[in-house]
Parts: sequence; structure tokens; C-alpha cells
Amino acid sequence: MKLRNNDDSSPFPNLAISQSRNLSLINSRSRIEPAPPPLRKAESEGGCGVLGAISRFPIAGRHILAATENMKNRGNGKGGGICASWFADPAFFGTDQFVVDNDYLLAVALLNPKAISEIEEKAIKPFFDIHAQGALKHISNFRDIQGLTVEPPEIHYYFVRAKTLALTQFIEENKLEHISPNAIEDEFVYQRTYLFNKTYYHSLGDKQAFILSHAKNLIVIKLVGYAEDCIRYYQLENFQAHIWIGHQRYPTKGRVWHPGGAHPFIGMHEALVHNGDFANYVRVSKYLRQRKIYPLFLTDTEVSALLFDLWRRTYGYSLEMTIESLAPTTERDFFKLPDDKQKLYRQIQLASLKGSPDGPWFFIIARNDPDAHQGELIGITDTSMLRPQIFALSLAQGAPAIGAIASEKQAIDIFLENWRREDSSIGRYADLYWNARGASYSDGGAFIFRINKDRGAVTLHCENKFGQAVTIGPLKDFESPSNGEAPSYSSRPVSALTDLNDLAFLTSQIKKEPPSALGDWLPAMTSLINQRRDVQGFRRSRIIEMALDTLETLLDKISPETHCAPFVRLTFSRQDQLKPPPASEFSLIIDAQGFPIEGPRSLSSIIVRAYGLGWKKFLLYRTMGHRFIGCGLGPGSQDVEINVYGSPGDYLASGLDGGAIHVHNNAQDQVAQIMNSGTLVIYGDTGQTFMYGAKGGKVFVMGNTAGRPLINAVGKPRVVINGTALDYLAESFMAGDPLNGGGFVILNGITIGLDGKMHDLESPYPGGNLFSLASGGAIYARDPQRLLEEDQLNGGQFTDFTLKDWVLLESLLQENERLFGIKIKDLLSHQGAMLTPERVYRKIAPAKTRALALGYD
Amino acid sequence: MTLAMDKSSITFLNRPPASNLQPLSINPSPHHAWKRIAKWKVSYTNACIDCGLCVLACPYGVHRRLEGTLKMAQPQNAECIGVPCEKIHPDNFCVKQCPFDAITVTPNPEFDMLGDARYSADLMASLWHMAETGLPPPEHLYERRVGNSGGGFDQLRFRFKKTPHEQPSANDLLEINIGIDLNKRPTGPKIRIPVPWYGGGMSYGSVSLNVMKARAMAAMAWDTFTSTGEGGYPQELTPWKDHVITQVATGMFGVREETIGWARIVEIKYAQGAKPGLGGHLLSDKNTPDVSRMREAVAFTSLFSPFPFHSVYSVEDHKKHVDWLSAVGRSVRSLSDRFKHTAPDILVSAKVSTPGDVDMVAVGCYYGGVNIVHLDGGYGGTGAAPNIAKKNIAMPIEYAIPKVHRFLKEEGIRDEITLIASGGIRNAWDMAKAIALGADGCVIGTSDIIALNCTRCGNCDKGRGCQHGIASTDEVFAQQIDPEWGAQRIQNLYNAFSLDLRLICWRLGLKNIQELRGRYDLMYHMGNQGSD
Repeated sequence: MKLRNNDDSSPFPNLAISQSRNLSLINSRSRIEPAPPPLRKAESEGGCGVLGAISRFPIAGRHILAATENMKNRGNGKGGGICASWFADPAFFGTDQFVVDNDYLLAVALLNPKAISEIEEKAIKPFFDIHAQGALKHISNFRDIQGLTVEPPEIHYYFVRAKTLALTQFIEENKLEHISPNAIEDEFVYQRTYLFNKTYYHSLGDKQAFILSHAKNLIVIKLVGYAEDCIRYYQLENFQAHIWIGHQRYPTKGRVWHPGGAHPFIGMHEALVHNGDFANYVRVSKYLRQRKIYPLFLTDTEVSALLFDLWRRTYGYSLEMTIESLAPTTERDFFKLPDDKQKLYRQIQLASLKGSPDGPWFFIIARNDPDAHQGELIGITDTSMLRPQIFALSLAQGAPAIGAIASEKQAIDIFLENWRREDSSIGRYADLYWNARGASYSDGGAFIFRINKDRGAVTLHCENKFGQAVTIGPLKDFESPSNGEAPSYSSRPVSALTDLNDLAFLTSQIKKEPPSALGDWLPAMTSLINQRRDVQGFRRSRIIEMALDTLETLLDKISPETHCAPFVRLTFSRQDQLKPPPASEFSLIIDAQGFPIEGPRSLSSIIVRAYGLGWKKFLLYRTMGHRFIGCGLGPGSQDVEINVYGSPGDYLASGLDGGAIHVHNNAQDQVAQIMNSGTLVIYGDTGQTFMYGAKGGKVFVMGNTAGRPLINAVGKPRVVINGTALDYLAESFMAGDPLNGGGFVILNGITIGLDGKMHDLESPYPGGNLFSLASGGAIYARDPQRLLEEDQLNGGQFTDFTLKDWVLLESLLQENERLFGIKIKDLLSHQGAMLTPERVYRKIAPAKTRALALGYD
Repeated sequence: MTLAMDKSSITFLNRPPASNLQPLSINPSPHHAWKRIAKWKVSYTNACIDCGLCVLACPYGVHRRLEGTLKMAQPQNAECIGVPCEKIHPDNFCVKQCPFDAITVTPNPEFDMLGDARYSADLMASLWHMAETGLPPPEHLYERRVGNSGGGFDQLRFRFKKTPHEQPSANDLLEINIGIDLNKRPTGPKIRIPVPWYGGGMSYGSVSLNVMKARAMAAMAWDTFTSTGEGGYPQELTPWKDHVITQVATGMFGVREETIGWARIVEIKYAQGAKPGLGGHLLSDKNTPDVSRMREAVAFTSLFSPFPFHSVYSVEDHKKHVDWLSAVGRSVRSLSDRFKHTAPDILVSAKVSTPGDVDMVAVGCYYGGVNIVHLDGGYGGTGAAPNIAKKNIAMPIEYAIPKVHRFLKEEGIRDEITLIASGGIRNAWDMAKAIALGADGCVIGTSDIIALNCTRCGNCDKGRGCQHGIASTDEVFAQQIDPEWGAQRIQNLYNAFSLDLRLICWRLGLKNIQELRGRYDLMYHMGNQGSD
């Protein structure tokens, strides 16, 4: 990278220092004997399940265990790993906080336990002063853990500092006198680890041992199995740390497995897990080799961690610049950046694009910054957002307390729920769930949760790539009801509940009701869950939690043996006793707990079986990532109605042809693929590739959809999205002429605030690709400020909005109003004034493009 | 070899017809309008006195008298094996036998215009011959085993145990089993096809409905399968639904729950060997109102499918996708009365192209739960696939098959998965080679449409498509293919293929085609300069 340091406008103010620093550090690696260049990856892996959690409170391993276990189906048991950082209890390692904070923690995985004495004598003791050491306890027989087939490694740990003599020699040999002592010691440890792994792991012959991690106050554990097996085998259920990541791996090669290939991989003070697959692995490896970094484990993830370390530590890039190096900002998003950012990013891209990982990927990084006394949990998505990702932020005791990142939302929910069982100050749901928009001008495609230790107290805050804070609140929790003064309650609709202070008492009373009261309370509680009303200073997540808890308590009271008209309840253990409905008005209530997420005995299969027996109305509760709900009912399911509570999984309503499904929460990825007809209502957000290849149906989404909704949709789907979409909305849309029975999307671009009022989003659609290459259908975007630009359309064009269009929209918006309480009146007003529909809505119709008229030349 | 068998013995060789199927028959089925282009041109000079010695001499029936007269009829050029006859049948060569030197045999210049390097004129003509007669052509008439490409299967030859002079009896051939299992896992329905091939996906839009019907009928007659391609599943095909694979491709055109439920096998098309990195595409002129109705898109616009499944970017996404299709298939079928008492499960096949890491792709597919891994190499595709993509991107199929076969073996899962090869499998000889390289069976596409008289002119994507009404959706053009006639032609072709495959097995000394799998030792490569 050539940069003029005397230029005042240089985007790199401190480059003079960092440049000489990074050159010296890289040059110091010249003595390292390179490992042979990799020709290809050792194995292919694409899919994975990832989870990261951070809190200002210590998190016990058992909560991570519960969450990773739920995502078991995202791995295949050929590699699981966890990382814990910011240990809450130094005594676990038999040492004190000072050593934990200041010493490097070398975690050595021994594949051959007999090699330990040789390793200690040759590779550790000559270079390091050991201040504490030990071996991680583990259960005696690994076969006691179901599914473990390969014995996990013995893990020995050492809290060390570099020996003064060894370090002095290192400085002299490499002329590093001008670099800060901490940076030198980091580099020294880094190079020792490389040499260690090269000697004992990469070399020909038996693999003896490798270093799992060498950071301060951070440990990585991995094995051949699932992530939760790490916690079980090494008995970490009660081990507490502020930052955790877990990883389920799904590699597809080889019968001989070593834990070395499992995630997380380390840089210096960070551990990285990854879900995805690079197309340019070899090129990235070459980029690293040119900088004297030699991958030894031959996976994408290893080179990702090495890249991060190179840019962040060796080059001294800021976190923002490091993220930009990994996921370059391109196209419209780039030009929407401020000029100085464009200048900076252009330089970064020139320097690092050759090393940028190309392909679908999502990283979660746990990082300890010993110099700044900070802990970080970072989630970064690739430019095109091709892997599933969800972020969450939760309050506790009035302040941001928990941050979480995962592949699937229910993993976060399980983590929180598991924790809540022990600590009522933790909410069942997070207060904010969102997706990152890859390498965008709006959020940068990355979010950082950071904890700081400030005079004994730990604080958490969250920001995006640009350092803009993600905030909520301040909001309060409900106080648990005292039995004393009792406001009267009756079965009046809860929507009439004006003072939410009464809610805790009210729900505690409703919980005592007999199940026959369900008929009264079911709609009331459901409306509490769904409605975006004024929260009166309370956490909305707590309102939902309270309503859902109440509902579940009542539902649980229905005995599975007898029925309670008009409800029959079914549980997993009694699913074989399923009988036809006693009468047609009966609803089947299914407690999803215990049902497998997929397969012949899954929740979706039991629905199909019940439908075959004549059931039409369903209520599912306690769903936790259950997939394919509402799939397989076939055509002609018009009279089916499914209400889903909890956190349903992927592919919900994919293929739906007639029935109605209401999701009383956020929905996940791949919802309503190839949907043909029927109704789907989502009282929240929905995930990626929503309605891919859909052919019809009426769909209402209260919140946002993630990337790539309605791609390749045809026929006559009619969709209202009240929020927005991340990008690629309705690409290759082919849904005829909306005025002649074809399909369309209404994009309202609004959000409902905590005050229960409607607010316009910053832009109705921030992405750079809207309606690309579409040949049919239309998008009606609510855009009173005319913020949408021509350059967002690639194959679409703004066309006149006529009365006919409004007639079409109005009927759908009326239903939208009925479902979500989003009033047409409000939609049509802007800055207090009521506008005509054509001033508010803009119609985007297909433009005649040469590509579509002719095709390939 | 001359297959000196009469028609009854041929019919006898076929699978005994199942009771619910129409009896399988092989009937001569020439084109209604034009004759097979002959390789040789036979003509009589004025010296001919209609003596008829040539009629007696010719073993192929080229010379005939006009029925009821003593006059010579026009010679049956297409049956003539030409100048080589002099060496093969020195005593029957008409030119020499004619006492008046009135017969000339010369190469037909028109014949050389046919085909291309991969599908040589001989190969094309041999396929037409098979489709017309149901028999492999006489040994000396065409080089029916290989083309002239100088690479691929054309450079591979078998090491036969039996000499060309040894002839099998009908019974010898009958004893040979050429069927394969499509589900090798211990669970799920067992589907066995009596021949080691089924038909590949050609969408409604790329070909006409009549062609799809013809292929489906032929598939049913042979108890094998054909595939819908990605343009949806026309209702008209449902009479043959037990023999039609529903393809779920990246465009998801016409894929609905019931079309998944109709099928015994669902095929996920991840990529196509002829154009990896591109989705399917139907150019605007071929997207007629009928086609666009099936796909629920806008007529006369080009339809491009995305290259990847937007919902499948990794192996665990793939597993989820397979789980979904299996769940939908099982559910829809279990709700139908037809499957009340049987397992309603379906098989899932994954069609992938052949990138450098195709072995890992195949293993990933297996762990995702598919029953069939279908490798599509780079030699296939109709004229609609862009030329820049064809043959330039995917790994040649003859490299991909052994790579995957070996890898699956090392992984210990080879016998749990059915490996199907496609992409330029032209005839029984290619199939046998693909199997010897490690595949279980093959998928054919182009051969089917050559049986319908495709000339490989490559204009499939231009304007309204094929002038013969094969790769066309134009109402008028499409009428040229009568489904019954087309089905008969394809059945005939399949019969000839099955005879050829049995013959290959017999000459290799094998009783079962499955013994041939992975037998590299039974083949040799001719090197760069190869000639027989």
C-alpha cells in the first residue's frame, strides 16, 4: 500500500507508525519456514450453525449448550467448537484475576496424551514462564455422550508470559525495538504457536497436538462432534464467561477426523467461527503467503481468522477498516457513503480486495482487547447476505445487557429462555431483533457488541460498522404483582387495558383460570402479543412474554386425555393417540415441545396426519425452530387455519395452497416458497428468500423481510410488507399484470414505534437492487418524500399511479389495517397532512429491456 | 456382429410386460415424410437388363424388384453397407456380381453433411436406424460405437474377452441382467429400473408437449423414467406419472405441492453440465402463451432462472431442501387414497454439474439425504445452451465419474448411493463406458430427441424453435410429432440400446451390468493419436 504520509487529507493519520510496524512484524516472520502451499481446501463445508452471546453478566455454559443443541441439524457431528472469553471465575483455572488478565492462555489439544512431557520441555518451557497450568477436567468415558465417536483431545492449559531472554533475543534478531512491548510479545506468542502447530500437527506422520488458542482471557475448545459436546465432555455447564461462541460444523470429506479442522479458529486475541464457503480459498491463501502467513489447517475459517488478525493487528487497521477489507462496500451503497468514507474505502479496497473472501459467508468473532480492557462480539455478513444471520439485543435491569448473534432466531430464544428459568431479570425474548444489510451504507453489514469493565461494573453497548450506536430504551420491567391491592378484572378485552401497570396482576389472575376460559383469553392474549401499542415505558418483549406465558399456562391445563370443547391438546408423547376431531369446530392444539424439527415424526408431519384425519384448525405453541410448518397439505386446503406461537423454523408455509397461517412472532428463512394460494400473516419480521418462486396467495408482513424476497415469483402473489426489505426485492418478478389479476408487492416502509405510532423509515427501500430484471407484476412503494431513485431499479421503471391501482391497493390495505392496526388514514398522511394516494404511493412496473426481449446474443 | 435375430426373438428379449402396462412391442417406425439419409448411393446404368442377380446376391435387401413386375425398383440406399462389402462379402458384392457392370456404389455426399464431431454422421444415422427398426444396425453399415471427437468416450475402448467372431445366442443375452436400483439406502421405497438409464429433464418450453408425452410413454413402456425439466408439470403427463420425475430447478416454475406429490422421484437441479453457472433460460419467442401459462409468467419475455437456488447456498441448506421435498412428497402422497397402505416416501435425486471439487459435492449431496447423485458433464445440452458455456466450463464427464466413484468408495458410502452420469451419453456404448468408469447408470436426453429425427442443427433457441417440431412450442410446428409415433421411435431406440448393452456385457464375460461398475481394467485409452 503506497500512501503519502505528508498529505494532510490522508485517510490514514497514524500510518507512519503502523506502516513501519507492520513491515517489521511481517519481516520478523521471514525466519519462519513456510508450510507447503495448499492446492485446495482439505474439505468442503458450506453450512454450519453459529451462535455468539455476550453479556455484562456472566453466562453459564449450560445456556450455550441448550442453544447450540437446538441447531444440531445445522451440523453433522464432524466438528463442534466453542470459545469462551472474559472468564468470570479464575478459580476454575486455579489462578487469580491478575494472571487471567495479563497472561496468555495457551490451550493445547493433545491428540496423543503421551507426548505431553516432550511438548512441555521442547515447545513451552524454553520460551515461556508458566504462572499457572492444568488440564481441563472431562467426563471419563466419551462414549457416555451419545453420538461421540472420536475421543476428544486432552486439553492442557498454561497461563504464560514470554521469557525475558527469549523475547529480548526475538527483538534483537528482528530489530523490533521501536514497537510496543505488548505488540512484540503478541507476535512472539503468535509465531511460537505457528511453529508449534507446524511441528506437532501439520508435519507428516502422526498428529500429536495443536494449540487451540493463545489469547489472553479467551479459550477455544473443539472436538469431533457437536458444539454442545464440548460443554458436556469438558463439564463446562457451570463455567461462566461474559462472551461465548459456539459452532456446529457440516464438513463433507474424509473418514478420519481431527478436531483441528473444527471452528473456532484463532488470530491473536480473537476466535472466529464461520458459516459459508469461499470460492477463492487458494487466492486468499496466496495473499496470506505473500505476507508470510502460512495456513496449516486448510479451511476457509482458518484463513478468515488469519486475515482478520493481519488487518487488525499487524496492519493496525481500525475495526471499521478491517470489516471493509473483509466485505467491501460496492455499487450504489458505495456511492451513498460520505465522500471521506468513499476515499478511505477506495484505498482499502485497492489494497485488500485480493484478499477479501469471496462467496457466501457469515463470521462471528469473539475478541478480547487486553490493552483497551474491552471484550467484543462481532458479526459480519458478506456483501450479498447469502448466509442466514440474526442479531439481538436485550435489556436487563434497565440497561442493555445481552447481545446475541445466530444463524437461526430460535437459538437466541432458547438461550434467553434457558437463562430466564434461573434468573427472572432476563427476558424470554430480546428487545430488538434485526438483520445486517451486507456491506451497506446504512449499517455496514456488521454489528459489534462491546463490553467494558468500568470500576468493577461491566457495561454493554452495541454499534454498527460505522460506530453508530444501536439503542433501545430506557424501558422498565414489570414488577411482580403483590397480592394486596387487587384491581378488578373481568374478561373484558385486554385491548381495552389502558394502564399496563395492571398487566402483571391481570395475567397472574388469568393463569389461575380453568382451561374453559381459554375461549375468552386466547384472542385477548394473542392481541397483546401481536399489537404494536404504546408500551407506556415497559419493555415490549416483556409484554409479549407475559401474554405468551399466560397463554401457555392456560393451554397446558387442557388435559391431553380428555378434551375441553372446542379444543383438543396433543403432546409429543401422545401423538400416536391422535383421533379425528369430535366435531368440525374443534381446534387441535399441539405443544411443539419434544417434536423433532424435521423428519417423519416432526411437527409438520403430525399436522399433515391430523389434516388427513379431518382436522382443519390448529394452534401450535412452544415451537422452537420447527421446520416445514404448513407444508405438505397439498392443494385444496382452503379451510385449514394454523396459528403459530413461539419461534417457528425455516420453510414455513412453503408450498401452501389454500390454507391460512398466522405467525404470532417473527418468522424465519425461506418462508412461503412456491406458495400457490391461501393467506399468510406474519406479525413480525421474516427472513431470507421469502416467497421465492411463489405463485400466489395473500401475504401480510408486519415488519421487515430480509434479503432476496419474492425472487422469481410468478402468477398472482399479493403481498404487503409494512417495513422494508434488505435487498434484491422481487428480482426476476414475473407476475403478470396486477390490474389484470397479476401479482404485486406493497412496500410501506414504515415502522411502529414504542409509542404505538407509525413512523416512516429512513428510506422505504435502502437496497441497490429493486425489481431487477422483472418482466411482470408491480411494486407499490409508499414513498411520499420521493426517496426512491432510478438507479435502484434495474429493469423496472416508475409509472403512473392511477385510480385503478388504488382500488387494487385499498382492499388489501384494509385487510392490513384489520390485521395489524396500520390505518390507511395514517399511511396516506405525511407530516400531518392527508395526501392523495398517487402522492404517497409510487408504482414500479417492468421496463422493456433488451435482455428480456431477446435473451442471449 | 450381425444380429441375425428375427423380430420375435427381439420382442422375447424384452422385459415381460407388467400387467398394468400396455404390451411392449417393437414396430418398424419410419418417418412419415422422409427417408433415412443413406450413406451410400447405389445406381444402375443403362446396361442393366433387370436380370435380378443382385437381388439374390445382396444380404441386406438393397436390390429389389418392383412388386409384381420384373423391373428393378429404386435401390434401398439406406441399407447398403457400401464399398467395404467387397471385402466382407466377397461373394455377394453386387458390383462384382453384376455380369454387365451396371451397378455403381458411391459415397452419398449428402451424408457427410450430417452431424458433427461428437455426433458423427454414422452415429446419427445409427440412432435413426435403431429408432426406426428397434435393432442395432448391421455391423458394417455404420460406426455406431463412437463419434469422431477425438476425446472423451470416443477414445475409450473395451478389452473384450470374446472375439468379434463369437456370436451370442438369444438365450445368452437374455441371461444378462442390465437393471439397476435407484435407491440403495436401506430405507425408503425400492425402485428398480430394468435398464440402466432414464430420460433427462427437458422442460415444457424447451420442447413441445408432444415430445414430453412421447418420452413419458416410452419411459412407461420400458418401466423407466423421464423428467419434466424445469418448466412445470403439464397435467397431460399425469397418466404416466409413475414414470415421470418432477424436476425442481432454480426457477421453481410450475412446482407446486401436488406436482411434487405426483412423482416417485423428485430431482433437484442444482446445475446443468452444459451451462454451469447459468440457470435455465427460455428465450422470449419460445415463451408462447401456453408455455407462460404453465410457468405463470408473462408470455413472450425471456425467462431466466437464477443460477443457484436462492435458498441453498451450503450443504446444510441442501439438507434442509431435501428434507422439505421429502416431507412435502411424503405428506401429499400420504393424504391421497392411493398410498394409504404403502410407504408414501419419495426418492430425491440431486443433479449437479462437474466442477473441480465434484467429489465433495457428491459426498455433500449424499449426507444431505439424497438417493441419487446425478453428475451432468459438459458435453450435453441442446442448441439453446450458449456456445461459450458448452464444453468450456464443466469437467468432462469421463473424468468426473471415476473421481466421484473413487471418493465415495473411500468414504465408505459408495453402495448407499446411486451414481448417475449424463451430459453427452449418446448410446449404449457410452453408457457401458460410463458404468465401467464408476457410474451406476446414465441419463440420456439428446438421443431421445434424435430418435424423433432431430438433426442437431442447433437452432433450438432461435425464433419459434425447431423446424421439426421437437424443440419448439409453436402450435403448428409441434404437430409434426405424433406422440404415439414418437413413443414408438424411442421405445425402438431403447430396445436397440438394451441389446447393445447386453452384447457388451456378454462380450466382456459379465452376467450383470452392475459387475461392470468401476471396472477400469476392462477398458483402455487410445492415446492422443488413437485409432482402432
